[in-house]
Amino acid sequence: MTIQVSTDLDLQSVDHSAHAVYLSDLCERLDLDQLALGAETAALVQSLRDRASALAQELTLPTTRQEEWRFTDLAPLRQIKFAGSAWRQRVLANPDSEAFKNLILPEAVARLVFVNNCYMPELSAIANLPTGLAISSLAGQGGAIAGYLGQQPGAEEVFTTLNTAHLTEAAVIRVQRHQVIESPVHLLFISSPVPASRLVSPRCLVVAEPSSSLTLVEEYLTLGTGTDLINAVTEIWLQENAQVNHTRIQRHSQTDFHIGKTAVSQARDSRYTCHAVSLGGRISRHNLKVHSTGQQTETTLNGLTVAAGEQLADTHSAIGFSQPHCTSHQLHKCIVSDRARGVFNGKVSVPKAAQLTDASQLNRNLLLSPKARIDTKPQLEIVADNVKCSHGATVSQLEAEEVFYLQSRGLDYQSACNLLVEGFAVEMLEQIPSATLRRTLSQLILSQIRTEPA
Amino acid sequence: MSASVQTLVNQPYKYGFVTDIESETIPRGLSEDVVRMISAKKNEPAFMLEFRLKAYRHWLTMTAPDWPNVHYPAIDYQDIVYYSAPKVQQKKQSLDEVDPTLLETFEKLGIPLSEQKRLGNVAVDAIFDSVSIATTFREKLAKEGVIFCSISEALKDYPDLVEKYIGSVVPIADNYFAALNSAVFSDGSFVYIPKGVHCPMELSTYFRINNGDSGQFERTLIVAEANSHVSYLEGCTAPMFDTNQLHAAVVELVALENAEIKYSTVQNWYAGDENGKGGIYNFVTKRGLCQGKNSKISWTQVETGSAITWKYPSCVLVGDNSVGEFYSVALTNNYQQADTGTKMIHIGKNTRSTIISKGISAGKSNNSYRGLVRMGPKAEGARNYSQCDSMLIGDNAGANTFPYIQVQNNTAKVEHEASTSKIGEDQLFFFAQRGISSEDAISMMISGFCKDVFNQLPMEFALEADRLLSLKLEGSVG
Repeated sequence: MTIQVSTDLDLQSVDHSAHAVYLSDLCERLDLDQLALGAETAALVQSLRDRASALAQELTLPTTRQEEWRFTDLAPLRQIKFAGSAWRQRVLANPDSEAFKNLILPEAVARLVFVNNCYMPELSAIANLPTGLAISSLAGQGGAIAGYLGQQPGAEEVFTTLNTAHLTEAAVIRVQRHQVIESPVHLLFISSPVPASRLVSPRCLVVAEPSSSLTLVEEYLTLGTGTDLINAVTEIWLQENAQVNHTRIQRHSQTDFHIGKTAVSQARDSRYTCHAVSLGGRISRHNLKVHSTGQQTETTLNGLTVAAGEQLADTHSAIGFSQPHCTSHQLHKCIVSDRARGVFNGKVSVPKAAQLTDASQLNRNLLLSPKARIDTKPQLEIVADNVKCSHGATVSQLEAEEVFYLQSRGLDYQSACNLLVEGFAVEMLEQIPSATLRRTLSQLILSQIRTEPA
Repeated sequence: MSASVQTLVNQPYKYGFVTDIESETIPRGLSEDVVRMISAKKNEPAFMLEFRLKAYRHWLTMTAPDWPNVHYPAIDYQDIVYYSAPKVQQKKQSLDEVDPTLLETFEKLGIPLSEQKRLGNVAVDAIFDSVSIATTFREKLAKEGVIFCSISEALKDYPDLVEKYIGSVVPIADNYFAALNSAVFSDGSFVYIPKGVHCPMELSTYFRINNGDSGQFERTLIVAEANSHVSYLEGCTAPMFDTNQLHAAVVELVALENAEIKYSTVQNWYAGDENGKGGIYNFVTKRGLCQGKNSKISWTQVETGSAITWKYPSCVLVGDNSVGEFYSVALTNNYQQADTGTKMIHIGKNTRSTIISKGISAGKSNNSYRGLVRMGPKAEGARNYSQCDSMLIGDNAGANTFPYIQVQNNTAKVEHEASTSKIGEDQLFFFAQRGISSEDAISMMISGFCKDVFNQLPMEFALEADRLLSLKLEGSVG
């Protein structure tokens, strides 16, 4: 047998077949709004957008033939022609309305509100910020975001490119060196539905300077029911010895589409914690990418996904180490009922340089109905030999014996099941840094899940 | 410490000799004519030629898979010899008529074909390049009604049985290499266990590639009728060549009601030299169908050879209460690459499966576990337990796990766990404190790491497997 020239097999295949849907066809042409941006910011945003738009011409909507999207069929997106940013409009401007009041977190030190990706100063609360904390929309920025915005690895991924190509607004948070912000900063991205389907591209940039600390609550929700595609990108930079406690809540309506990306870079000695709760969306996906670039970083990823009805909820996480002495702990739970599907893919890669890594990962799934479905793939890629890595996955249902035990103590079937589901979820919820939010989420989860008598 | 382990696992390949024997080979290349020629040479029934041609035509429309975590240059399928047989191809009435050079070769490999010298209670089918040269203990097996012969003989003697089952578990269009195998397979073993028979001895096939230009494409078909039981072993070696040889086999198992098949492999193909030159490409499709209720299929494999291993022995659990098992030890060294694992497809009610996979990677090798556990919508009460552990020796080796878990039934239970570790200094110190040399300590730890799997091997193979690993650990105090 002769040997021919070697070919690289790892290229991400781009679908150029006749069925391919190019990103540029997914939504109407961009209208480049005249934004009231500082000259430097405007130039930066324009160059990022231009580059992404050019790339978007080449990229196609992922199909299930691609490994990364094997279990998440985006075919429903093809049926819809999404309007671009023309639908940015201000609604719900009344800060006293009941609907809005319910969303406020009393614990928060500051609040930034975007409705349909449009900054709402009258709903936000960024007066009296503690020292060292700077929060603003893109318009309030000087040139300080250059080198951070759009610079996380993976910027060329399909949906990240799409977001950057539509970049008009962003929440920007910066914590100065040595500053500790204990109370949470609340970011609210509200969808207020209109008769058409829109592509909404929220963007968030967080920079935690050396030895600073930040607690962040990032929340996505729909008031009413919509059929929008919310394509969010959050970039978080942790510099040396910085600490970020990040809570990400996605509770869009069950007819929306949500594709979210959280890209995190961790410099040495930094600590990043993520509590991701995903409840809404007909198809929802959270891409969580953590790049550890220094030594002794700590990463904790907690995730809770609840899917009911016809929902498909997908979480793809990836932790990449590059230096020794790092630790990561991940626990992801899915509760799936009705005909819903839960997808989890957790990748941990430990290259040769990352000796003495301690990485653990556990994925636990609860199936509540006969038609529900789970696809999970915990994935380890290890080249370093002196490491401690483990992963695990379980899929099960409520134990009949446990339900019976509770029933024998006087609970009816429904309450018994609810209690068990709540018990399964509470481990993830109790670490969220806001009591108000914990209560809201706990109620939402129970109303979303309907357990059927066995 | 690391250096001592390196020397421990670097043990020369002792099966690398070439037997100088005249063989009959057909010209290189693959075409419809070649497929027809192979079929004609073997005097096959018409249905077989149809089967081969259908597979070949389908293969032409397929492309080689690129998803495994292995890298190799594109294979030139026109540069392979698809049929090679030792000359003097008369049907052998007894072992006396087999070419003594061949017998000598198998003696050298430690596989005694002459029954007087038999070791243990094992019947052997020896396959040399493309053909089966001898099958031992046929009469004794025939008394019980067990058919154990090469698949070419089975095609002549029991065409109905072969026609009924061949391609029923691994369809011709299943994957690229299965299609290629279906088109050009030359020989292999056929086992048929009638109803209610507990096969009196271990059955074994020994594969030997001798010709440097030929590919080996064998096909194994095992059918266990209701209430029967069989344990089958497979071993393989090849000489050392600088070029890579392709080995694309297909193994099909069918277990009917209450039947049990135990399939064990000790794979020791030539793995290439320390620079990754040469070695066998082992691209194998193995699948078992638990068709009947309460049937059981158990795969045990010890993978130490091959430049590239790409195989996923799987179980399709159709019958209610059927059981699938997979026990694997994969050892890679130098530039070896292994992407191996299993698929457990649960279809019937109360089906159960167990996966125990141990990967040891040393040198610059790469060892991936890739597994699928699928619980179908009707698999009420199905259970799976998976455990895959990796051990890394040296910091240039890689270990990956890709476990896919797909559950569509809420009464099914799946558990998966994986870990990666190394032999720690503290563990070696613990042994040293108790007066045990580091060589013995490492040997003990590796043997303990693999124990769960070795325990599953039949006695004869457990010895061989233990020897295989311990030989690699011989004579090197760190």
